[in-house]
Amino acid sequence: MLKSKENIIEMNNVGIRYDQGPEILSNIKLSLPKGSFHFLTGQSGAGKTSLLSLMYLAQKPSRGTISIFGQNIDFAQRSQLASFRRRIGVVFQDFRLLEHLSAYDNVALPLRVCDMDEREIKKRVTEFLTWVELDHHMYDKASTLSGGEKQRVAIARAVINRPDILLADEPTGNVDNIIAGKLMKLFVELNKLGTTVVIATHSEKIIRDFRYPRLHLQNRGLHVYYPADTSFLGDINV
Amino acid sequence: MSNPQFVPRKQELQLKSENTSLFLKIIIGIAVFIFAITLSGVLAVDSMITNWNKSILGSVTVQIIPPSDLNWEKSSAAALAMEEKAVEFLRSVNGIIKVTPLSDEQLAELLNPWLGDDVDISKLPAPRIIDIKIDTHANIDFDQLSKDLATVAPNASLDNHKLWLNKLIAFADGLKMIATTILFLVSAITSGAIFYTTNMSLGLQHSVIEILHIIGAKDTYIAQQYAKHMGIIGFIGGIIGILFAIPAIFFIGSLASAIEGGIISETSLKIIDWLFILALPLFSCLIAMVTTYYTVKQTLKKML
Ligand SMILES: Nc1ncnc2c1ncn2[C@@H]1O[C@H](COP(=O)(O)OP(=O)(O)OP(=O)(O)O)[C@@H](O)[C@H]1O
Ligand SMILES: [Mg+2]
Repeated sequence: MLKSKENIIEMNNVGIRYDQGPEILSNIKLSLPKGSFHFLTGQSGAGKTSLLSLMYLAQKPSRGTISIFGQNIDFAQRSQLASFRRRIGVVFQDFRLLEHLSAYDNVALPLRVCDMDEREIKKRVTEFLTWVELDHHMYDKASTLSGGEKQRVAIARAVINRPDILLADEPTGNVDNIIAGKLMKLFVELNKLGTTVVIATHSEKIIRDFRYPRLHLQNRGLHVYYPADTSFLGDINV
Repeated sequence: MSNPQFVPRKQELQLKSENTSLFLKIIIGIAVFIFAITLSGVLAVDSMITNWNKSILGSVTVQIIPPSDLNWEKSSAAALAMEEKAVEFLRSVNGIIKVTPLSDEQLAELLNPWLGDDVDISKLPAPRIIDIKIDTHANIDFDQLSKDLATVAPNASLDNHKLWLNKLIAFADGLKMIATTILFLVSAITSGAIFYTTNMSLGLQHSVIEILHIIGAKDTYIAQQYAKHMGIIGFIGGIIGILFAIPAIFFIGSLASAIEGGIISETSLKIIDWLFILALPLFSCLIAMVTTYYTVKQTLKKML
């Protein structure tokens, strides 16, 4: 286990570029302490999803180093990356559910890849789907669900494993304010239990209400704002 | 909402709906068909050779015809003299275990069915016969032996029929080698087809595999789903193949046994041979699974 002072995610001199294009993010330096909670903001196209994808190990930076759970991922074994990913829950901006599977099977996935016993899986999945108020759609195909319902399935899938890190890309973009508030409470709850949380959002209301530090992407760089700063809400561009 | 007890777990990778399944079943079916026919040929030839080795190859006879340009007394004396020389020579040859010249009584017994009891064989220019036991593992060049024998005893000749069989065995051995090559090629082509369709499918399933990876699935998790799917295809293809092959083998067998001479009628397959052929679907299932498993593992290694 990591000591509480340690950084669970660290980036140094990180740059991202796609194909042979220019860098969309340059010289990113970032350290997230274990158990912290951050919002990730920035205009559309600023690179929020790209930065998160480095954290959930879906791509490698074009330069710089990334350490996760204290391990430089350039030197991690392939099987080690898989076990890291099991400790990271991800809510994708576009959900990325397996459309041909039921809500139940989608949420069960992170448990199944760990070979958990099906009875235990059923208990947990039912509990989580009930919590996101989707128990009545448990066995419906994901492709038949509405946007907001898909989003809640995606969130249940991300948290079912009680991950050490939760990375959520606009997790409240498709739900009404009441459900959004409820989902945010879930993330806060998880954070209190020790999960490190990063949430990309465009919602000024959420940032204002919850007052966690902001990682703000602008001009290819990263700026950190704290709730006490006068500029905390200054340049939110939503 | 349906009852969860009766909802079967669906596979994350939708491999069944890929239209390469039918193509692969046909390819594997054809491969197993060719494999079964060729294998039955090899097994039949193999048992034929074993039979020949047992019954014939171990013994060869040498025949010495008495010279015809002398009167019978001189002629049979010459034949006896040549027999002695031949026996002496044959005993010196490597790989020949036992050399037994047949006595007059034994010769008479042999000739009796043709000549009857009334004929005194010692008054006839009958050929002398030497029985030779051969070590079946020794690789004797019968052509050379035959030539050498002729210089020692000009009227001596190795039994033609058995030499001919020996050449037939060499021919059968050649056939066996070709058949083995065919078996190897058919397996390789099948593995190749499985390799390519698997790679194609990995491309089609790329986004699902990416999600599985991000969720923390190890490559083996994905490879197992693929191997299971391909194993079933391999088994079904194999069943199709032997369903066509079995009647074909019987048909070829009936054609072979119609050949006069009784040589090929010894070729019927043994029960163990049939078990081999019937087990081919398991074999194709195994090849499909192993090939797929390693193809998937190898390809996924290149993904992040
Ligand atoms: N796979 C890709 N290939 C090429 N370019 C990409 C790819 N993904 C993102 N980009 C580019 O990188 C930049 C940042 O995109 P990204 O999705 O990270 O932004 P974002 O901050 O998440 O935006 P949004 O708020 O709209 O979700 C954009 O200019 C985008 O065009
Ligand atoms: Mg985005």
